[in-house]
Amino acid sequence: MPAKSIRVATDVGGTFTDLLVFESDAATGEARVRSAKSDTTPGGYEEGVFDVMAKAGVEADSVGFLAHGTTVVINALTERTGVRVGLVTTQGFRDTLEIARGNRPDFFNLHYRKPEPFVPRRLRRELPGRIDYHGNEMQPLDLSPLPAIVADFQAEGVEAVAICFIHSYANPSHEERALAELARLWPGVSAISSHQITREWREYERTSTAVLSAYVQPVAERYLQRLDAGLAEKGFGGGLYIMQSNCGVDSVGTVSRIPITMVESGPASGVWGAAELGRLIGEPNVLALDIGGTTAKCSLVEDADVRIKTDYWIGRSRATAGYPIMVPVVDLVEIGNGGGSIAWVDDFGKLRVGPRSAGAAPGPAAYGRGGTEATTTDANLWLGRINRDYFCGGTVEADMDAVQKAIEAVGARLGVDADEAARGIVRIANNNMVNALKLVSVNRGFDPRDFTLIAFGGGGAMHAVALAQELGVTKVVVPADASVFSAWGMMMSDLRRDDVLTLLVDLTAGNASAIEAAFGEAEARARGRFAAEGIAASQVRLARLGKFRYQNQEHTTEVPLEGGPITAAGVAAIEAAFHETYEREYTYRLDAPVEMVGLHVIATVDIGKLTMTRHEVTGRALADAQKGTRRVDYALEGRHEAAIYDGERLEPGMAFDGPAIVEDPGTTVVVHPGSHAEMDGYGNIRILIRN
Amino acid sequence: MNTTATANAITNDPITLEIIQNSLQSAADEMFAAMKKTAMSSIIYEVLDMGTGITDAKGEIACSGAGIPAFVGVLDKAVTVIVEKFDAPGAVEPGDVFVTNDPYYGGVTHLNDIVVVMPVFAEGRIIAWTANIAHNSDVGGMAPGSLTGEATEIFQEGLRLPAVKMISRGEPIQPVLEIIKVNSRMPDVLEGDVWAAIASVRIGTARLVEIAEKYGAATFEQAMTSFMDYGERVSRSALKTLPKGTFTLAEEQDDGQVFNVTITIADDEFLVDLRDNPDQATNPVNTSRDGVMVAAQMIFKSLTDPYSPCNAGSFRPIRLLTREGSVFHASEPAPIGFYYEIDLRVYDVMWRCLAQHMPDLLAAGHFASVCGTFIGGIHPDTGRQYTIIEPQLGGWGGREGMDGNTAMFCGFHGETFNCPAEVNEARNGLYVDQMALNLEPGGEGEFTGGRGIVMDYRVRADDGFLTMGYTRSKYPAWALDGGNEGSPNYVDFIPREGERQRFAFVSGLKTQRDDVIRVVTGNGGGFGDPKKRDPERVRRDVSNGLISAERAREVYGVTVE
Repeated sequence: MPAKSIRVATDVGGTFTDLLVFESDAATGEARVRSAKSDTTPGGYEEGVFDVMAKAGVEADSVGFLAHGTTVVINALTERTGVRVGLVTTQGFRDTLEIARGNRPDFFNLHYRKPEPFVPRRLRRELPGRIDYHGNEMQPLDLSPLPAIVADFQAEGVEAVAICFIHSYANPSHEERALAELARLWPGVSAISSHQITREWREYERTSTAVLSAYVQPVAERYLQRLDAGLAEKGFGGGLYIMQSNCGVDSVGTVSRIPITMVESGPASGVWGAAELGRLIGEPNVLALDIGGTTAKCSLVEDADVRIKTDYWIGRSRATAGYPIMVPVVDLVEIGNGGGSIAWVDDFGKLRVGPRSAGAAPGPAAYGRGGTEATTTDANLWLGRINRDYFCGGTVEADMDAVQKAIEAVGARLGVDADEAARGIVRIANNNMVNALKLVSVNRGFDPRDFTLIAFGGGGAMHAVALAQELGVTKVVVPADASVFSAWGMMMSDLRRDDVLTLLVDLTAGNASAIEAAFGEAEARARGRFAAEGIAASQVRLARLGKFRYQNQEHTTEVPLEGGPITAAGVAAIEAAFHETYEREYTYRLDAPVEMVGLHVIATVDIGKLTMTRHEVTGRALADAQKGTRRVDYALEGRHEAAIYDGERLEPGMAFDGPAIVEDPGTTVVVHPGSHAEMDGYGNIRILIRN
Repeated sequence: MNTTATANAITNDPITLEIIQNSLQSAADEMFAAMKKTAMSSIIYEVLDMGTGITDAKGEIACSGAGIPAFVGVLDKAVTVIVEKFDAPGAVEPGDVFVTNDPYYGGVTHLNDIVVVMPVFAEGRIIAWTANIAHNSDVGGMAPGSLTGEATEIFQEGLRLPAVKMISRGEPIQPVLEIIKVNSRMPDVLEGDVWAAIASVRIGTARLVEIAEKYGAATFEQAMTSFMDYGERVSRSALKTLPKGTFTLAEEQDDGQVFNVTITIADDEFLVDLRDNPDQATNPVNTSRDGVMVAAQMIFKSLTDPYSPCNAGSFRPIRLLTREGSVFHASEPAPIGFYYEIDLRVYDVMWRCLAQHMPDLLAAGHFASVCGTFIGGIHPDTGRQYTIIEPQLGGWGGREGMDGNTAMFCGFHGETFNCPAEVNEARNGLYVDQMALNLEPGGEGEFTGGRGIVMDYRVRADDGFLTMGYTRSKYPAWALDGGNEGSPNYVDFIPREGERQRFAFVSGLKTQRDDVIRVVTGNGGGFGDPKKRDPERVRRDVSNGLISAERAREVYGVTVE
């Protein structure tokens, strides 16, 4: 057993690559946590990873476990830097990808532009052959046109091929055969068929998923290879795990085959971190809030469980339809409202914040890099919530003249002074976030008052207490190292695979054995995949969920199935659980037959987690952690003389009342008047709100 | 300093008002999401032929959560009728829910669209109403799906609900619910959809009560009023930038009628005169005056500010003139089942009337028909009745600098989703043999019209039916500036045995196993002379198989190897 165990998480973001290192000494039990940031290196993201490891003085050969999250997939999609894809589909359906679903969210706009398909019509080709919705073959697959299709694809410079056939979710044999024939005709081509990614119905969504996966596959695969090889070259011999959108990690080999599952890995690790932290501190019901530079993301964790959905879309908004990707993604709401979001006044005198962001360049006016528009960060500085003499942990000198000009410009348009304008910006930003938090809670039948708000990211702690007050939440937790909390979450993740399958069957006692067989098959498949990677069945934990609805409905409600094998006698209990879940969400229940529409199997393998270490108590007095006081404007509660604490000098057990501010190099915690803050044994700040 | 509102004070703080307005929008969106997820008819959950709204105490629309623009301005009319009908003291109590579906009682559209309305009480008075409208699959009447071209009176089009109370103080009035249910051929689906609508208005009401409790009723009302005034300011400001004058158009319709429109745009008014139009018909191609108003509101909103919030204030500059007893202002008991095609015709005629004068705001014509298609029968796998009620996708018109969009729902729809073939085949007793772009000629131009679609439904069992009614089947989408007009909307019925038939309207056509119902929707109108089209674009169209090399030479004068 090595004397020291070193676990590292690296998270490649849009601007920075974050690193978190946990070192623990086996002999003494002593643990040390360090974090570092370096610039993200577009073009070769792995370089940024090596940079940040070097910066933190982490020797690759000493690391036993490395978890990695990256934006390489989402960037390739949004910046359109993937490869040219050819699509092979069922006869009669080459245009599915272009027809899409025909919707126009921006419906009064008669100049709406439908999103361009990722594959032009000439590269969308068809093969005869049909499967029906039960999975029976109606017409055999005819592979004879494939050689000519391959020749055309090669002539056109296609680099990856996607295959999607109608009803392949019910029977993938045609896709399997086409894929094999393609590999024979074109050895080495990057290829994916839809059933390898998803076994759910809806042909447009599945086709889009296969196409987007093929589009990013060579790019992501090359990236992961470079990362893997680069680490190996530096002597890394530990386990390399890649963060997924489903809040789990997976091996680099598996992710290389279907890299599209990384699409929302960054937000997922933060949500998972919140769920894990909640579990550790005995708060299983959590609202996770991650406020970064350009967006805020929130998600609801009930009973320490994250909610995973497969109806994810990229680029979708009120203005455009976007593109669907049917992979398991943590259920979250993201809004264009971060520290860098720009405040503006419309032609009719209404104040708005976001979704446009000042980004990293020019950044908020306070950066002094030429930004002239007021951002949320500027308003927070102006109101004294952020320390103007300790901006970005003291690394940036806040350009308060630029801040004043920017905020006064907003005020002039509103007809108010700078103070009032800054308060307005913070209140509108808070309101945007409150509405996002309501979307994941009240809109789904949950009462936010039953939840603890865990706030992280660079800006989470600045707004958390105000949001909690608005929502009636009484407990807020700001985790230790809140600004790199996503990296922490990554290190706490399990190896995890979510399989979601469409199975349409009436929920009756007579169908219990068929349902049980379907679950059994999915679970055997999951175990088999792990076994092929050398992971014993005994290590694999399996959880079942069912998707149910009333007959004739379309949308489903997911219900956990915890009672062991499904038997005829157990069906009534499942039905009762569905009625209950449904009524909570929608206020009523029906005396109608219930259908099962799909199953969801979660397979997890524990790959070892951090043991949280208690922070040291030296017996320092609270007064020694206080830096001083200053006037802070709390917007709704007005100005107060607030005690300012140095977060790095706070110790477990220290407690104080608002108005107060806690500052550490990565985060500012705004503690409003009437709330009470206390540092727990793990270095998290817990705030109680007296509503 | 403490700015938390006390119960009776009015805050004029613009930020507080803004926050309340944002909360209204989230409430309307939440109502929408609840309805969408719980509905039983695919036309609601997939097509999103539904809308939610919040009005003030008088019934003026403050906020909508809509799937389609045609439902934004509908709900206020129903609320207004209920406000007038139940004006006695105590006639409306907390927890009450009202229902109407009749265009002669505030329902605006047709009997399939059930409107559910609930009052919002705070501090002992009504401060707002929440409302929901959705297309129900079958509300009785002479034909399955309730829509038929054969109807000559509204009585044949289903159960009429003349703005009545359905729930009293939170307790369902069982007789009313039973009457509604028993009148449908699909009673369970109707019951499920009505309850989904009730859930939607209840959720909205609960949300609004919370807001009013927090800020006080007076401030809540003030926020609504100022929101509508804001909508009006946006509209009036945009109206000033539109070309002024009186514009007229007469257009012959597929059935030979001529529709006339005169639009006068002044600095402070958008006047639509539709008085000079045919008398109401004896078949269900009439619409209520409210329906025409919605069409006028839609075109006005698109012309003024399509992006800002849309509420009663946005529409204040509109004045509409109609003649009672005409096709655009039907009187009881005229049938109105296909009102949407007539409203869409008015919308399209107004669009066409203005497009040539403001080409930067309006593209060439689109396929401009809902293309409502109703297919039913017995599902051979389940033995249960199925009914498809769906609008179709089609091509939109080209404009300066941009080819028209391909395969989108018509202008009356919006966040509407087509039914996937895989879901369709499981749910309904038919196969979808193809879902492809329509490659017929039409819509050529410097900027082309988008493509319509060709979809083949192959029927799996005997004794089914087809009902459909498409307009722009004889006269396709109109072009602009020298482009070519689009192509027509129609159904080709290809029976396994017998003659192929082409339809624009058919009601209750019998279908048998292996008959193919081929839906063909039009390409949009072209913009500009085809000879001016960028040869690169022409070559791309050829390589994508959208046109042949011969046609490229013929129409565009471009030679492609």
